[in-house]
Amino acid sequence: MKPGDLFRLALSRLGTGKVRTALTMLGIIIGVASVVALVSVAQGATKGISDRLQALGTNLVTVSPGFTRTGATRGSSGSATTLTLDDATALAALDGIQAIAPQLTTNKLVIAGTQNETARIIGTTPGYLEVFAYQMWTGNFLNQASVDHNLRVAVIGSTTADNLGLTETAVGSTIYIGGLPFELVGITQPKGGSANADDQVMIPLSTTHELFVGANSVSSIGISATSQDAITAVSAEITTTLEQRHGITTGVDDFSIITQAQLLGTVSSVSDVLTFLLAGIASISLFVGGIGIMNIMLVSVRERTREIGIRKAIGARGRDIMAQFLVEALVLSLAGGAIGIGVGVVASFVIGAYAGWGFLFNPLTVVISVVFSLLVGVVFGVWPASQAARLDPVVALRYE
Amino acid sequence: MSAAFVEPIIELKDVSRVYDLGRVRVPALQEVNLQVAKGEFLAIVGPSGSGKSTMMNILGCLDRPTTGRYVLDGQPVEELDDDGLALIRSRSIGFVFQSYNLLPRTSALENVATPLLYQGVGRKERMARAAKALERLGLGDRMDHEPSELSGGQQQRVGIARALVTEPALILADEPTGNLDSHSGAEVLQLFRDLHAIGRTIVLITHDTDVAAAADRAVHLRDGQLQEAVPA
Repeated sequence: MKPGDLFRLALSRLGTGKVRTALTMLGIIIGVASVVALVSVAQGATKGISDRLQALGTNLVTVSPGFTRTGATRGSSGSATTLTLDDATALAALDGIQAIAPQLTTNKLVIAGTQNETARIIGTTPGYLEVFAYQMWTGNFLNQASVDHNLRVAVIGSTTADNLGLTETAVGSTIYIGGLPFELVGITQPKGGSANADDQVMIPLSTTHELFVGANSVSSIGISATSQDAITAVSAEITTTLEQRHGITTGVDDFSIITQAQLLGTVSSVSDVLTFLLAGIASISLFVGGIGIMNIMLVSVRERTREIGIRKAIGARGRDIMAQFLVEALVLSLAGGAIGIGVGVVASFVIGAYAGWGFLFNPLTVVISVVFSLLVGVVFGVWPASQAARLDPVVALRYE
Repeated sequence: MSAAFVEPIIELKDVSRVYDLGRVRVPALQEVNLQVAKGEFLAIVGPSGSGKSTMMNILGCLDRPTTGRYVLDGQPVEELDDDGLALIRSRSIGFVFQSYNLLPRTSALENVATPLLYQGVGRKERMARAAKALERLGLGDRMDHEPSELSGGQQQRVGIARALVTEPALILADEPTGNLDSHSGAEVLQLFRDLHAIGRTIVLITHDTDVAAAADRAVHLRDGQLQEAVPA
């Protein structure tokens, strides 16, 4: 028999018992829909967590100087002053780097009007905004000109602004850092993440060197890789470049590199477990749906014993009967699977909109669902179909 | 025997069919010998329990003889496997059943076309040939009707159309008038006479000697054994 004939036969048969067909498909619909929706939920939740991690800095790689050693006493990490502005300039030329922000941190008393606080002063470059994923609330961030010309301009964090009683109208006013006047050019939006990420004052790196710290060193270099996947390669490049620049051949580096990769790796392994768990739960309903199909097909074979006898008498071979019943089971499971994908996609959309991570659609889930439905149809259709195919026509014709 | 001069469609040689019911062995047919010539219209008559059904199953290639030889249309049947039997049923036999045995919820046209489906005939040709067969039996206006929408006589004519559509070597009718009123029954028998007149080979199995009278020749089956008899 030709596939078209088998398909037509299955459709006409399933069309004669619409309620039963619909109920049988319902099992598969629910199964596939929950696979699609739950995988989407798992991925959405993962994306939500990743997004928060990304807020700490976009694909962040942090380079810190090593430690000093005074006699037998090992200083704290980052205590060395081996990392310089020139290192940062050299690293900026590497591939896979989106933005770079060398920083030099110090603490100074900040005075605005009658308010004052001792704040963390970060001398940095315009790349800081992107590397650490800040956004401006009002005014502008430090520009290249301010760094090139050692300008006395400052951008303050939202918490610092609150502490000093500064609002957007304060942009353009003068504040005093370490007793020296600076023009306030902007205030950043609250970022959260760490406790004091919003309690800091950012000024041009060159200005810091000129006014507060008389060396060419930096306390760390923040680097934003072009993508999460590039982080590992970028770290390796940085290591090679700095080892060359610092003339290190012993393998003991005078700097250290911390990346987000480890953290993201943990998150993704947790999310894999979550996805598998949810898909596993959903698969159970798919399995139950498959049993529903098998149940209906077995009943159907019994009910249609006489039909099978007639078909055999007028020339059907066992394999023709087998194919007929198998295609019926396949059409049931595939149609159920298709509807299930639709329902699952709609459910993912609704859940995504409600949970706020948007609509995440993974085509692979659809492919897997289709393959799974096909498998369910074959696995649970084969037995009833072979029962039908094996019927003795003499017995089947006499069946009432 | 005049049949010996013509090519035989059916040749049974010492055919026995024994049902093995565990402890007892029930012989339903015993050493039956029969020849049916091409174009012949034969009635096999017997009361219930005489082995009629077994005879029908063997002749119809639904079952194999326990012993003996059966050649249908030049093909020895006893050595065929299930697929082989299905193939010979498909190619060489057209069944007409007492209870019509049409496929339920399926139009007359689809019913008649189904044997061609199993011959691998394309859909267009199937429908054309089925329509022609139905028209020949005066059912041209009933093609789209399902069996439940047809009278007994009409259903049996659909059944006959289904048996004819493959142009089989043998038409095998099992009590074809058994479920019909006398008028419809007479019509069906006349149809068989007409088919016989245009050269079809027909074997009609019945318990009713009046029905058997429609055939040219009748053989009687009694306790699984065959007795040749000239119809009255």
